[in-house]
This record gives sequence, structure tokens and C-alpha cells, in this order.
Amino acid sequence: MLSRVAENLYWLGRYLERAENVARLAAVNYRASVEERSPDEDEAVLWDALVQAIGSDAAYAEAAGSERDLSSGEWLIFSARNPGSLVSTITRARGLARELREHISREVFEEINLLYLASDESAASRGLRSYTATVQRGVAATMGLYDNTVLFDEGGEWLRCGMFIERADMTSRIIDAKYYMLLPSLADVDGPLDRYHWLAILRSASAHEAFRKRYRGSIRGTRVAELLMLDSAFPRSLRFCVSALERHYKLATAGTPRMRALPVARELALMDLELGSTSTGDIMTSGLHEFLREFQVRVNRVHTTITDEIFHAVPASMP
Amino acid sequence: MGEPGDLLAEYSQLAGPDEMFDRDGGIRTNYAHLGARLKGWGERDYHARQAAADLDQLNGGVTFTVYQDDAGTERIFPFSLIPRVIGATEWARIEAGLVQRVAALNRFLADIYTQQRCVTDGVISADVLGGAEGFNLRAMGFVPPLGVYAHIAGIDLIRDQGGEYRVLEDNVRTPSGVSYVLENRRTMLNAVPDLFPAGAVASVDDYPDRLLDMLVSVRPDSVSAEETRAVILTPGQANSAYFEHSFLARQMGVELVEGRDLVVHDQRVYLRATTGLERVHVIYRRVDDEYLDPLVFRPDSILGVAGLVDAYRSGQVAIVNAIGNGIADDKVIYRFIPDVIRYYLNEEPILPNVDTWVGTHPEDLAHIIEHLGDLVLKPANGSGGYGIVIGPQSTRAEIEEARERVRAHPSGFIAQPLQEFSTIPTFNGTRLEPRRADLRPFVVTGATSWVLPGGLTRVAADSESYIVNSSQGGGSKDTWVLRGRGEA
Repeated sequence: MLSRVAENLYWLGRYLERAENVARLAAVNYRASVEERSPDEDEAVLWDALVQAIGSDAAYAEAAGSERDLSSGEWLIFSARNPGSLVSTITRARGLARELREHISREVFEEINLLYLASDESAASRGLRSYTATVQRGVAATMGLYDNTVLFDEGGEWLRCGMFIERADMTSRIIDAKYYMLLPSLADVDGPLDRYHWLAILRSASAHEAFRKRYRGSIRGTRVAELLMLDSAFPRSLRFCVSALERHYKLATAGTPRMRALPVARELALMDLELGSTSTGDIMTSGLHEFLREFQVRVNRVHTTITDEIFHAVPASMP
Repeated sequence: MGEPGDLLAEYSQLAGPDEMFDRDGGIRTNYAHLGARLKGWGERDYHARQAAADLDQLNGGVTFTVYQDDAGTERIFPFSLIPRVIGATEWARIEAGLVQRVAALNRFLADIYTQQRCVTDGVISADVLGGAEGFNLRAMGFVPPLGVYAHIAGIDLIRDQGGEYRVLEDNVRTPSGVSYVLENRRTMLNAVPDLFPAGAVASVDDYPDRLLDMLVSVRPDSVSAEETRAVILTPGQANSAYFEHSFLARQMGVELVEGRDLVVHDQRVYLRATTGLERVHVIYRRVDDEYLDPLVFRPDSILGVAGLVDAYRSGQVAIVNAIGNGIADDKVIYRFIPDVIRYYLNEEPILPNVDTWVGTHPEDLAHIIEHLGDLVLKPANGSGGYGIVIGPQSTRAEIEEARERVRAHPSGFIAQPLQEFSTIPTFNGTRLEPRRADLRPFVVTGATSWVLPGGLTRVAADSESYIVNSSQGGGSKDTWVLRGRGEA
């Protein structure tokens, strides 16, 4: 498979996953902003936490400085000036899909194209909730169509690699953005305010119903952290993402010279092993925030190595 | 809106001939079925069907890129519901004429880049050849596999006042438009399946297979048909025809590559793949000659592949269409193509040219000078910067001035009569109006030639216009070639 095509598919997977995550986070935030919330917490604070979570707070501060009315919600969802906004992410995914048309089915292209067509100026006027719902459904439909209309070949493995690396990164950011809330709860009794926060975190990761199935009884910080980080069956947990990434990477690089594929394979195997043999208690003891930061650094290194060793490497020897 | 009227019944024609209606307003035989189906369709019916067709193309991403726009906006090619219909006998003659013309163009190119017998024998004078654009020194002395240069040709036709099809222009470099032929048919079948006479319209689905077979057939000798790897080379997503490049790659199941995806080692071309380098044998390029290889053409081109021309000339890779074809579709050379057909094939041309006089030819020059008031004067190449002068619509002073310019720089001009060509009914949002239309059929040539039934029918943007280009707001229609009987 062409290196450029493999890289584009990988990024298509990343952008689609990112779009779905941002849409879901925005929907949860929106719900929180219309429902009851603690009196000292205003709407802007909720959004600001989100802006911070997806790593564009500096850019937002700059844009908000020149455009007084720009709310962080608009910046995050509809602003074409924010390269990380939902609208921009969809536009990029669609640009890649257009470039990749001969590698994806007509059905997959049309689904992404429909999302793009729904992301024009009129998106904001139809309302945030309606738009984020469109994106969530559209991404889910796209992935479903991909599974059912495209060959299960190297290209599909790269798309899934992109998807899971993005998801691993996103879940770790979601937990990290609320880590300060998780910490005191270890000792605290569960008050109504706490429960409300736990629900919001679980919803941010589409984990609410999974949590209920997994654990009887009340929502506790340690349990939430365990589900989102270490559960091997919850499809958004760090452990699940790393295992899936390792599996798809192995399939994607089946034909790649061993020396080039090996560093990432080894790192992923190690990460998988570590996540499988640690506990929430260990992580909390040595520092949740530090654990998450290190996780993000390692995921990012995997990304860089794949890019350099697989996508951008000039083959040294002749066939 | 009141009672919907029958738009077909309210149609009024222009001075030129109409494809659907005869002079007395009767529906021509080839359109009888269509006329019966459209009977009673009012404004609302056309609107609803048009909306369905437009949405089908927009959702499918059937678009072209508008260059003038900074944002690189994509537009759908305006699509018009009423098709052009061509009868089987009529089509057989067009087909024979196209095959004949392409055969002569290939013979001409092979001769021009080797012995130049046509110049020695006086068919093309040295002056005419010297004044023409598109001659490429890098193609000299090399004959591509099977002697084919114009593997894919798009020959633009119009139908004149007398109902005769004439060649308006040859396109044998990288003609585009075929993807719209296939997509227009798909849209028609989705939006207005009820208009089709069941089983009577020739299918256009065969094109990708025919194209792929041809690409494999011109492979280097050293490789078998089964092992042949063909690719499409595109300038990239910003190119106005990108949709088509991607479409054809998808339909044929071949890789769509950019210059940066290819690398040449030891006169062999390779793909840069995740698993290493993979050999490429045939390149269907949609990149112009001058951007193909920075080592021999424009050194600043980033669209090409260094060493590609060397690999081509060594026979290790086939390039489709061949390098140097620009000489065959030059505006001045066009004037002599009927002679070229007689010279190489010893046959009379089946499809005539539009009458053309060129400044580089002494007798033609005299004719232009004398009859300028009745002719349309055009620059012989785009780079001249001179405008078009329409004789019948100009003042005596303007004609005199144009005459002086021609005398001063004869090789810069060609002239043609003002051409009335046929119209086809087109829905303009409220009613049906006549729009001038041309036809670009596509000819695929390997060991033999194959013609896609029909081709791309392009229509002008309004009733006044004579220009059918998409850049001028023109649109397109489906083209039906009827099978067997049921025609005039």
C-alpha cells in the first residue's frame, strides 16, 4: 500500500474519532449547562474545562482576545478559525476522504460527505445539540459502513490504528481534565454533588451504562477511574485502546520489514502488559495526573515513530 | 402556482436547428419516447426531478474545483435532465468517423516524431509545422508501444445547420469529462428512471474495463499482462479534474498516485509503499507534459517524477497518453487533419471539419483578408493575447484594423465562419429553453479503437451563448445512443 495512502487512512481514523469525542463532550457539557449545576459554577467554566481538555486553550485565549463575543463553546464547535474545532475536524476528515475515494467505498465517502455538507454556516443556527447529534450519528454510521463495505486489508488496519490511538489520547485527556475531582473522593463520602460530577465524567466517555452493568451500588471515584483506565472490556478504556492498537498495528505491518515495525510493536506490548498488571490503587498512590501525563507522552511517541518509520521512511534497499 | 402547464408544448426554438424538434415543432423520431414520457410535465415536475438529480450529485461529491475562488470551492457541474438522443445508424457513422480520425492522428504523430514524411510530401508545410504549438523535441525518435500516441481521445463535435456532425476540436493530450458521462447516467437512473425506454439505451458502464484493458495492452514487453501494474498519476486534489482521476482509479481498481509517490531507479519506476518499493509498468498520467519530469521539462515542477522521461524512452514504463501529442490537437494543424486522413489512410474523412482558414497558409491568408467581414477571427494560440473578432458583428473600421493585424502577423490567426449549431431543450428554472450543445465522445485506442457509446454533451449557460465550457457556467446532459431500431 502507498505510504501516503496509509498515512491518510490513519489520519482519517484519527479525525473521525476526534470529531465523535468532541461532539460527545460538547453534548455532555450542553446538558450540564441546562441542567442544575452548583451555584458557583457558571456555564463558561464548563466549556473552559473542555477547551483545556482538548488542548487548545492558548489558541482560544488569543482568538477571544480579538473577538470579544466568542464563547468557548462556539470556538470549540463552530469556529472555522479554530483548526481543532468540530467543524474544522469534519472538514479535514472530508478532505482526506476525497483524496482517498478509491480506497473507501462510495457509501463511506457519501456518509462523510453528508457530515461535511451539514457542517456549513447553517450548522450553528440549527443549534449545538442538533449538530453534535448529527456528528455522533454520522461518525458511527461511517465506521459501521467501513466495516461492512470496505476490504479488510492493510488500509483498514491503519484506519483503526488511527482511531484507537486518538481514542486512547482522548480518554486520558478526559480523565486528566477531572483528575482533581477524583483525588479527594478517595476519602470522601459520596454527596449528591459528587455523584453529579461522576455522571458527567461517565457520560463524557459514553461509560454511564457500562458502569451500571459493571458495578452495583453507588458511583465512586475509584470505580470510575478503574473502568476508564483498566477495564479490558470497556471499549474506551486506556487498556482496551492499547490492546486494540497493538492488534491492529500488528496486522497493518504484517508485510513491513521487521526492523522498521519492531520498535512500536515492542512499546505497545509493554504498555499493554503494564496496564494489565497495575491497579487503580497503585496509580492513585503514585499520582494519577503523573500517570496520565506519562501515558500521553508514550502514546504520542508511538504516533511519531509510526509516522517516521512507516509513513515517511524512504526504503533503503531495492526489492 | 396555478394549473401546471406542459412545458414541452410551450417550447420555442432559436434560429439554429434543434435536436428534439423539427422546424415545424414536431418531435423527431429519436425523441418520440422521451416526448411521450415528458408530456404533461409542468414547472413543478421539472423542479422536483432537478432537485433530486442535483442532490444525488452533491452527496456523491460529483464536483469540479473552481480556481478563481480562494477557498478552492467545489461545485457540481450543472446537470440538465433532458438528454441528447442519437439513433443507432447515426451513431454508427459517428463512430466510424472517430475511429478513422484517431487512426490518422496516431499515424501523423508517429511520422512527425520520426521521418516527417508528411512534411517531405507537402501535406504539412515546414512553415505550418514551425508555427504550430505543441511539438515536443523530447518525443523525437521514439515510438511508443503498438505505435499508439493518442490512447484516449476526446473529439469535440457539433451539429451544423444542415444536421451534419462536424469536428470542432481534437483533444489528444489529457482529455477529461468521461467521469461525468458515467455519473450523469447514474444520476439519471436514480432521479428519472421512468424516462428511459426500457432496454433501448446503450450502457456506458464498460468504459473502466476497456480503459484498463488498453492500459495493460501497452505495457513494456518484459512483463506479463497478469503482472502489469498500472497507476493513474494526478497533479493532486487541487486540480479541477481531481474527481475524475479518483473516479477512474476507483472504477478500475488501480492506485491513484502523485509525483511524490513515485521514484525512478535505474530507469525503472517504483511506488513508495509501506512495505517497500513496488514496480509500476503503465502510467495513465493526467499531468501535462511540461510538469512530468523536472529533469527534462520545468525544473520547478513538484508534480512530476525525476527521471520519468528517461524511463519512458528506455521502454521500462509506458506513459498514456504519449508525450508530444500537443502537436496533433494544435489549432493550426487542425485545419489540415482532413488532408492528414487522406494522406495516411487513403480514405475520405467521414466527419468533416468546421471550415477553417489559417494565416500561415498563403491561400488561406488571402481568403481571410478578403472575407474577414463574414468570418470569426481567432488567435492561433492562447498566448497571443489578441481578442476574437466576430466579422458580421463588427464595424468597417474594426474589420480594417483586424485586417492590418493579420497582415502584420499572419501566423497568429485562424478564421472560421460564424457557426450556428444545434440546441437541446433545457430547463432553466421556469421553462424549457433552447441551449446550444456540443458532444465530446471518447475513443480508447490500444491495438484497436473502441468508442464509448455517446459521450459528454455539454450545454451553454443560456440561450444566447455559443460557449459550452464548464468554466463559463455551462452544464452537461446525459447522452443516449439508441440500440438497433426505433430511430430515424
